Amino acid sequence: MEKGKKVNLILLTFSALLGFMAVIQLNQDMESYNFVTLRTIQVSKNEIANTSKEIEDLETLIVEKEEEIKRIENTKDESSAHSILNEELDKTKIASGFCDMEGPGIVIIMQDNQAAEIVGYDVNDDVIHDIDILNILNDLRIAGAEAISINGQRIMPMSEIKCGGPNIKINGKSLATPFVIKAIGNPKTLYASVNAPSTYGYKLKNLYQINIETSIEDKINISAYSGNFVFRNANPTKEGD
Amino acid sequence: MFFAIIGTLIGVVIGLLLPITYSPTYALYVSVAILACLDSVFGGIRANLQDKFDAKIFVSGFFGNAILAAFLAYMGDRLGVPLYYAAIFTFGGRLFENFAVIRRLLLNKKPTKK
Repeated sequence: MEKGKKVNLILLTFSALLGFMAVIQLNQDMESYNFVTLRTIQVSKNEIANTSKEIEDLETLIVEKEEEIKRIENTKDESSAHSILNEELDKTKIASGFCDMEGPGIVIIMQDNQAAEIVGYDVNDDVIHDIDILNILNDLRIAGAEAISINGQRIMPMSEIKCGGPNIKINGKSLATPFVIKAIGNPKTLYASVNAPSTYGYKLKNLYQINIETSIEDKINISAYSGNFVFRNANPTKEGD
Repeated sequence: MFFAIIGTLIGVVIGLLLPITYSPTYALYVSVAILACLDSVFGGIRANLQDKFDAKIFVSGFFGNAILAAFLAYMGDRLGVPLYYAAIFTFGGRLFENFAVIRRLLLNKKPTKK
């Protein structure tokens, strides 16, 4: 009888231990037991970086706006209000492209393939098209170009780049080769965005033999947009409506 | 038999009350260890019913099998060979064997008592 009790006690204890372990194991969060590929990690990292940068930007914007509000609140007489309004006007002009700009950047000169023999399947491969200009423009914008002009035409938010037969139409004006693209921004990144391997500019230059010359310049002048927009359909919405 | 069930229930209650968590990386090792423990408990019940129960063998088997099984699973992970299958087949097979013996003992017990 004494031995039987001991046996039962041991069985009881160890069964308790077993039940305990099993329940702990069952209570674990098994959903996190997923496979994570390196790609997913990279994508998530990028997402996090983007979002945190966005948050940072918004925070600086808040600070900026608060300062602006303070400044506006502190204005008392008419002349200071006038100067603030002028400042705002200048800022808006700069942002919208109605202002001449200068600064460091790059100048790209693009010309059709001048060689006698044609490279591609047909002659179209040797000619610069609107889509080529658009792609390069996009690359420049990604590289942080702050002001861009093509053959003197300032690229505006509403500028179109359209095929016009042998030439290209920008801002409603026909432009022909050679295309001189000027961009203000960080010269190194801008240069890389056109010349680095596997960029669109690199392909054009080396695959299609389009003449693309890129030069870094310390001082580039980009003139303002000369026309003016007429809004027929778009109406501004007032804040708080 | 009866004590083993009661003990398991007590363990379940304690496990539900205590908030213990560990990394899901160890989940596989722990589950293999649990299988080994389950086998040991079944073996203990069987031995108890056969009146051959030895505390030393039971306790050493309980811990030794669990640790060996978890270690096998870990080594398998390291080497890229699923070694824990060895533990699963051994203990799983023995589990059913033990259970079969327990069933026979329990079912045959009643007529002999009468």
